[in-house]
Amino acid sequence: MHGWGISQRVQQISDGGLELNQGSLYPALQRLEKDGLITSEWGTTDNNRRARYYRITASGRKALGDELESWRRFAAGLEAVLRTS
Amino acid sequence: MSWLDAARTRARLVLSPRASETRTDEEFRFHLDMETDRLVREAGVSHDEARRRALATFGGVHNHRESMRDGRGTAWFSGLSLDLKLGFRMLVKYPGLTLIGGLAMAFGIWFGAVTFQMFGMITTTKLPLPSGERIVRVEVWDSKALDEEDRTLYDYQLWRSARSLTDLGAYRDVGANLVGADGGAKPEKAAEITASAFRIARDRPLLGRVLDESDERAGAAPVVLLGHDVWVERFDRDPRIVGRNVQIGNGFATVVGVMPEGYAFPMSHELWLPLRTDVPGLEPLRGGAITVFGRLAPGMTFESAQAEFTALGRRLAAEHPTTHAQLQPHVLPYTQFSVNDTDMKAMMGLTYFFVVALMVIVCSTVALLLFARAATRETEILVRSALGASRRRIVAQLFAEALVLAGVATVVGLAAAQLTLSVWGKPYLEMGWGTQLPFWVDFNLSPTSIGYALALAVIGAVVAGVMPARKITRGLGTRLRAGTAGGGVSFGGVWTAVIVVQIALTVMFPSVVMLVRSESRRIASYDAGFPTQEYLGVTLGVEDGQEETLTPETRAALGIRIRTSLEALRTRLEAEPGVAGVTFVDALPGDSHDALRAEVVSLPEIRPRWVAIASADLSYFDVLKAPVLSGRAFSRADLAPNIRVVVVDQGFVDLVMAGRNPVGHRVRLGTGQAADSNAASLPVYEIVGVVKELGMASAAMPQREAGVYLPAVPGSHGSLKMIVRGRADSLSIAPRVRELAMVVDPAIRVEQITRLDQVTTPLLWLLGLWTKIIIGLTAVALVLSLAGIYAVLSYTVARRTREIGVRVALGASARRVITSVFKRPLTQVTLGVIAGIVLIVLAATAAGKSTQFRGTGVGVLTLGDAALLVGYAILMVGVCTLACVVPTLRALRVQPTEALRTE
Repeated sequence: MHGWGISQRVQQISDGGLELNQGSLYPALQRLEKDGLITSEWGTTDNNRRARYYRITASGRKALGDELESWRRFAAGLEAVLRTS
Repeated sequence: MSWLDAARTRARLVLSPRASETRTDEEFRFHLDMETDRLVREAGVSHDEARRRALATFGGVHNHRESMRDGRGTAWFSGLSLDLKLGFRMLVKYPGLTLIGGLAMAFGIWFGAVTFQMFGMITTTKLPLPSGERIVRVEVWDSKALDEEDRTLYDYQLWRSARSLTDLGAYRDVGANLVGADGGAKPEKAAEITASAFRIARDRPLLGRVLDESDERAGAAPVVLLGHDVWVERFDRDPRIVGRNVQIGNGFATVVGVMPEGYAFPMSHELWLPLRTDVPGLEPLRGGAITVFGRLAPGMTFESAQAEFTALGRRLAAEHPTTHAQLQPHVLPYTQFSVNDTDMKAMMGLTYFFVVALMVIVCSTVALLLFARAATRETEILVRSALGASRRRIVAQLFAEALVLAGVATVVGLAAAQLTLSVWGKPYLEMGWGTQLPFWVDFNLSPTSIGYALALAVIGAVVAGVMPARKITRGLGTRLRAGTAGGGVSFGGVWTAVIVVQIALTVMFPSVVMLVRSESRRIASYDAGFPTQEYLGVTLGVEDGQEETLTPETRAALGIRIRTSLEALRTRLEAEPGVAGVTFVDALPGDSHDALRAEVVSLPEIRPRWVAIASADLSYFDVLKAPVLSGRAFSRADLAPNIRVVVVDQGFVDLVMAGRNPVGHRVRLGTGQAADSNAASLPVYEIVGVVKELGMASAAMPQREAGVYLPAVPGSHGSLKMIVRGRADSLSIAPRVRELAMVVDPAIRVEQITRLDQVTTPLLWLLGLWTKIIIGLTAVALVLSLAGIYAVLSYTVARRTREIGVRVALGASARRVITSVFKRPLTQVTLGVIAGIVLIVLAATAAGKSTQFRGTGVGVLTLGDAALLVGYAILMVGVCTLACVVPTLRALRVQPTEALRTE
């Protein structure tokens, strides 16, 4: 998926709840690519435009899994604290 | 593999910044176009309005582009390039520091590069030949004699079956008196060599062909292959040389080819003759010395080759236990000359360490100068810090400035190193090698040497740049908060130590120069006991055929022929009008002599002592005009086989006989090794005469020697030297010596002719070179000391201007001002001078105990030496004090009113 596509998908899935500063996506994508968590290559869109397509790598999937697990633990802990207060 | 993709991405971001920028722009453009289209489609706004909204949603394009740039990790690079530019500006702004600091660092780099290159040349294992690192030599180590055994022609027959080496071959050095196109004979460096050598080196001949296996067979016609320089200088580049017969010694050979310029395999050879290796009836350890070489077979390593040769060595030891039990073959890199090179490696390591230590000392003083400069920029540094520059950033800036200085110094140092190697490197190494240098020695700075110099430059920049930078940026935050600008930096203990060490070295180095010069004077005034300028020393070589093919009869016939030729040469020379006498000996006066352990059997109370030995012709003492002090000289009867007599010199009388007359006493001469344990088997000689000392002690050694002369027939003992006494200018006889040698017997090679008073010239040249180097070191150390003192004192006076103004306003006299300013540098200089004198005393004591100088008086400090040291110390204090003059005058000129206005 290309960068614009990613920003649209994030908006769509979060139902407008996550308003990304669209331009800040690209430095983040560059960092992830430098760390080997995603790769990219040039491609052509349906309307014949040249775009850079990003794809998650195996180590990216692993890192995503680790981050998700970490987030879930944090969210569960936070909820537990809020429930008791 | 994601790590590979990550590495590729990082490399692309750093190495192709333009491509990365283009990609960023294209991605941003795509994103904005897509967002604009979506807004036009979904929100129904105009294109311009959609574009505006898209930009607003995107955020600052420029800011995101900057974030992308920072994310590439190249921000440090643009920062460094700016710092380097500033560094160059600083060089121009402070020319004094640039000159002094730069020259000092250049000196350190020059010394390091030259040393590294020289050691590299001696110890390299790479040959400039195809697969040069796989070319080997096979040497045999005698574990009993603790020496190499090179009579390995017999072993070579078995080694040819080895699978781990291909193109196995052998060579030996032979004397070749080549007669050139002009009819003159001159010895050329020649090798008898197997044809496989030309498959090792693979050079094509310029003319004709190389040697091949057919030339090595018994009965093959004698052939010779010429080197390029020989073809040019001796045969005028004759294009028809191939097929011509040339005279070599007493024989003739047909030229089969000419090798291209620069070809000198196996070492530094210019002439190649076939080596016959399949000698029938050859026995172990028979035959002359040979060197065996080869190439590691494909897939083989040094270890596997060594394993195979060890097995071959065991096989020979089993078949021939009396000769081979203690012999072990070793497979070595071709350029490694000795089985035991651990001493060389230790010396190399020590030298490299010394070079790095020298660089650290030199750059510590440069650091002092840079620190003083940086200290004057303290306000600028504080402002930069206040504007957000981290300590790391400021240190990086100051390091970059030092790196620029080191860079300029590296260029100067490397240029000087290349010049030194080109002009002095070859004669210096040839002196040590004793002969022409091997073909692989290259005096152009290698990439490794340049890399070493660059590493030294970086070390220098770290010492000179980072050390003062860290000191000056220490407590920056505190000073900022306290609002103090200026006056926060001081020169502490480290800088005092740097100045003290520098001055100690400045005091110490001239004493080394004095020692070297005193040695030079001693060597130059060496007295051989006779007027050496009237005599020529001629080193002769005689072609004696292949050792392994000689029978007792042919060996005896050869001996008679050599003796006859030498007598004929003597007769012809003595008939010359310019010649007053000719004699023969095995070592020239002033050169090093063989030594034996002498025991006076008729006086058992006298302890045995090592004595210098010379085998001299009967006419030796007559020709040298040396009167017999006691007893008699040699006579013809002394040459009889059952007669054993010697003549000793005055050194023997004083050092061995403690002044007693030795005539009539008997002396036993032995080698001092375990084989001498059966004393009765050693030869005993009667002392028949005493002569004055005639140069048995080597000019290089300060000790006196006890000399013993044995009577000998010329040509019957190994080394052969002829001494010719001239009636007028002895050197004018030299060409005639060569001509007559050629006429009498072309097999006699005149290898070298020297006037006997010039035997020490190469050694004096070497000592002169070292004197110049040490004087250079001293000058660098002195200039750095003075610059360091001046810089520190200037800064101190500038920093204390207000304080000095207050003191003067309160009535302090000029004397008190000078004392307060002067006290610290004077203390540092005094400490440095005292440390230098202590170093001199310690070094002198150590030198006096060394083998070289023991018992010679070197290292014993006389009253005169002590007075000289004191005088020199006072001079050093005075010279260093000069550096304080300008800052002190500046301090005295401080006006209280102006000083008090200074903030």
